[in-house]
Amino acid sequence: MSKELIRLRDLVMEFDGERILDSINLYINDHEFLTLLGPSGCGKTTTLRLIGGFLKATSGEVLFDGQEIGDVPPYKRQVNTVFQRYALFPHLDVFDNIAFGLRVAKVPKAEINERVHEMLGIVGLRGYENRRIDALSGGQQQRVAIARALVNRPKVLLLDEPLGALDLRLRKDMQNELKRIQQALGITFVYVTHDQEEALSMSDTVVVMDKGRIQQIGKPEDIYNEPKNAFVADFIGESNILDGVMLEDYKVRFFGRTFQCVDKGFERNEPVDVVIRPEDIDIVPASEGHLVGTVTAITFKGLNYDIIVEFRGFKWLIQSTDHCAVGSTIGIRLNPEDIHIMHKSEYSGMFGDYSSYSAEYDELTEDAGDEEE
Amino acid sequence: MKRTNRIFTVLIFIFLYIPMAVLVVASFNTGKNITVFEGFTLRQYAELFRDEDLLALLGNSLLIAVLSTLICVGLGTVAAVGIHNLKPRMRKAVMSLTNIPMTNPDIVTGISLSLLFVFVGSKMMGNDNSLNFGTLLIAHVTFGLPYVILNVMPKLHQMDSSLTDAAMDLGCTPMQSFFKVTLPEIMPGIVTGGIMAFTMSLDDFVISYFVIGFDFVTLPVEIYTYTRKAIPPKIYAMFTLLFLLIFGLMVAMNLMQLRSDRQKRSKRAVSDSKSKRIFKRVCAGLAALALVIGLGSFIGMTRQDKTVLNVYNWGMNIADGSDDTMDIIAEFERQNPDIDVRYSTYDSNEALYSKLKNGGVTVDVIIPSDYMIARMIDEGMLLELNFDNIPNYQYVDEIFKDPNTRTYDPENKYAVPYTWGTVGIIYNTKYVDEADLAQGWGILWDEKYADKILMIDNARDAFGIAQYLLGYSVNTTDHDELLACVEKLKEQKSVVQQYVMDQIYTTMENGEAWLAPYYAGDAMLMMDSNPDLAFYLPQDQGFNLFTDAMCIPSCAQEKEAAERFINFMTDPEISGANMDYICYASPISEAKNYMEEYLAESEVVYPPTEVQAKGTAFNFLPEEVSREMDQLFMEVRSTDTAEGGGTEDVIFLIVLGALAVAGVAFSVSSFVKKVKRKTKK
Repeated sequence: MSKELIRLRDLVMEFDGERILDSINLYINDHEFLTLLGPSGCGKTTTLRLIGGFLKATSGEVLFDGQEIGDVPPYKRQVNTVFQRYALFPHLDVFDNIAFGLRVAKVPKAEINERVHEMLGIVGLRGYENRRIDALSGGQQQRVAIARALVNRPKVLLLDEPLGALDLRLRKDMQNELKRIQQALGITFVYVTHDQEEALSMSDTVVVMDKGRIQQIGKPEDIYNEPKNAFVADFIGESNILDGVMLEDYKVRFFGRTFQCVDKGFERNEPVDVVIRPEDIDIVPASEGHLVGTVTAITFKGLNYDIIVEFRGFKWLIQSTDHCAVGSTIGIRLNPEDIHIMHKSEYSGMFGDYSSYSAEYDELTEDAGDEEE
Repeated sequence: MKRTNRIFTVLIFIFLYIPMAVLVVASFNTGKNITVFEGFTLRQYAELFRDEDLLALLGNSLLIAVLSTLICVGLGTVAAVGIHNLKPRMRKAVMSLTNIPMTNPDIVTGISLSLLFVFVGSKMMGNDNSLNFGTLLIAHVTFGLPYVILNVMPKLHQMDSSLTDAAMDLGCTPMQSFFKVTLPEIMPGIVTGGIMAFTMSLDDFVISYFVIGFDFVTLPVEIYTYTRKAIPPKIYAMFTLLFLLIFGLMVAMNLMQLRSDRQKRSKRAVSDSKSKRIFKRVCAGLAALALVIGLGSFIGMTRQDKTVLNVYNWGMNIADGSDDTMDIIAEFERQNPDIDVRYSTYDSNEALYSKLKNGGVTVDVIIPSDYMIARMIDEGMLLELNFDNIPNYQYVDEIFKDPNTRTYDPENKYAVPYTWGTVGIIYNTKYVDEADLAQGWGILWDEKYADKILMIDNARDAFGIAQYLLGYSVNTTDHDELLACVEKLKEQKSVVQQYVMDQIYTTMENGEAWLAPYYAGDAMLMMDSNPDLAFYLPQDQGFNLFTDAMCIPSCAQEKEAAERFINFMTDPEISGANMDYICYASPISEAKNYMEEYLAESEVVYPPTEVQAKGTAFNFLPEEVSREMDQLFMEVRSTDTAEGGGTEDVIFLIVLGALAVAGVAFSVSSFVKKVKRKTKK
């Protein structure tokens, strides 16, 4: 693959004695689409701002093309940023906003014209040159912000939750658009988001962060299928996380039963977290199941039903296209490849229990609603 | 509802703009009387533009306003950005600190600045003339600065902080990002703040009054000293122009904003930016010009080969070339090319006294009244004159050198008389029976003329009248005598229409009042415009004969030049020419040969010598006595009588009513708006 462009080495960031970033180590390759994913306050924006040069790390290094750039001010870095709320200049029109960087760099007028118009074409805003910023829709402002950054032909484009303020439909369109632009121009994108779906669908590499630390780095499929700990498992998609004991390679015991699995390399009788994705669980008649439980709730979700099933006081989420009546007793089967084993971590026991499912569910939809506004 | 709303709005506008309308109308009035519009004229404007002194004062005011505004805008913007970048708690503390000068009473700011300047200037830098153009500018910047900061802060607050990040991200250095992004964003705040600072500076009197020196005087401070006579109508003309200028500026600014908004919406961005660029260049040019003129005049003021002579006189108390009189100062400078006179004015003996006492100024010639001279001699504030340098002193009439009349300076050491005059009774011959004048001062108590009598609104003169009437000495310190005077003055209240000073002119001239005690020189002016008026001196009871005399205060730096000036003013020809303007009596008999005949022969201005001999001078009273007198007079003024104070009450009620209406209208309209907004939702 292509060469390494940016490397963060042991980055630590402290504000008023509070540790925002805790020894971040990360490299970003040229032409890569890398996403920093995590809940708010996890340090992803701080990491981005360190790359952009808007913050100075408490300790550690930022290397660009092998050069330490920790002390280089933002206006001398070969990166450009798309800000969270676009940060377009209200006193300038669309053309002047996009031309801003070129004018500062004293690019000849004819070239400015040419490059701005080319960029307007790329983001699909031809004919909007003389519009005032406040006469544009959110999506159009977003495109102007992207054009304003890209027109300078940066080596790296930093995007700080650029789609956060758009509605769901527009967000999907822009995701495709961004991916297309990235591939067409061959520029490295460093993308910050808290939306796991966005991260999985756009990125080459996803970096999951929490509490100022990197939890996992990997391709989207790996992150989803092989989460490293309970936090990642829960944050990326839905997961049932259970306490288990690894008896030996390929054998795990939980709920009083021993299951075959595909994981190995654990110590004998090591306590572990067992992850079972809701969509991997097969519902069978109670008599045929590895486990037997009672349906306590069911919600229609369009593609499938979210079914809450109680097994010995522990509630699981199961996603299935089949309807089950509340109160009915059902069995489930688990295939070895459906079971993913993780080492115990500080996050163990904090996630993956759907006992308070309905409340949590409401809360989640509310949050999503807020963001779409 | 909409209609009532509109009516209220109109009412409020009328309430706000009526005073301006009156001023504008008065500026076009042929007659001198404000209450009667006699005809349309532009004469006041012509006179205004011929009056170089007044225009120079206006120029001074504009200069200081423009300069202080520029400095405020620069400093204020930088300060606001700095404060904005502080941590929130710190920011709050700093903001409340910067707001204090604005909420502080002007008088406190003025006095404390004056103390500071005098302390730093005199004590630390050894400069006696520490109050000057520079200190005035600093003072104006001090009170203008908070307005700029206060208007810029919210704009910074509203601005998305990532805008500056974005600018730097696109290649701007922090400095470039400030000029290219932050500045355009906060410009509206800067402009509003600048306009506020400008208007505050232009009309500031209180603070300026305390920090102003003699070399640079602003218009409001000068006009305040015009209390010895009525305000000349050319001032109305000037204020009208000033009002129109500022009004025009505001309208132009709003229009420009509107047009640029509209142009931005339509697609002619190119031509728009061009006109904007031109506008910017014009503004920058004007600002630069003001700066250059300001610096130039400042440097010009500080570097002078000529001897600078500071003369401090009553307002409108020297002939200035208007109305075909001689321009005395110009004439003096012509005859003494090595001297540059800086002339400034005060409005009362007390103001002069406190200005000198506070220090920080150098002044070479002052012209206080007799009792104040006595006080200043007593306190060692005057220098002895060298009469070898004042040969013209020989022309001064003997009576003014006689220790019996010259009680304020019996040894003839400190003062050369400038003018003299009497306090008598002005009456309207059409309504007042001359036989009644036999009562002397008592006519001012006569029931027959109830409500047509004006009383002088000045403790010393009012007590003087009562003392003459009761046969006491006007320089008494006897407590019982003062109390008897108070009783007498209270008794008078039922017949008095108003207590007045300057308003006496209009009220007497248009016949609204028939009797009033006042100064002879002013009586002459009134008789000039209404021939029915006459002047009477109650010589049997006695009357006040006052003298204003030229002295050199101990802070003077150019004593020899000051004596040359005093000598010049004592030249009979000059004195005569001067009296043509100020209408008081000259202490030099020979001067009569050089003044207009009607003045020289007027018995009002020059009572016969035997009458003049019956006048008495006010001496300096011990402070506790004069303070008691002021308090007692206040008591007289505030005592209620059934008939008294009618007009003032009516005016007060009208103002109160109008305010109430405005308040109700405002709350109703805002309530209506609220309801509308709610129903819309």
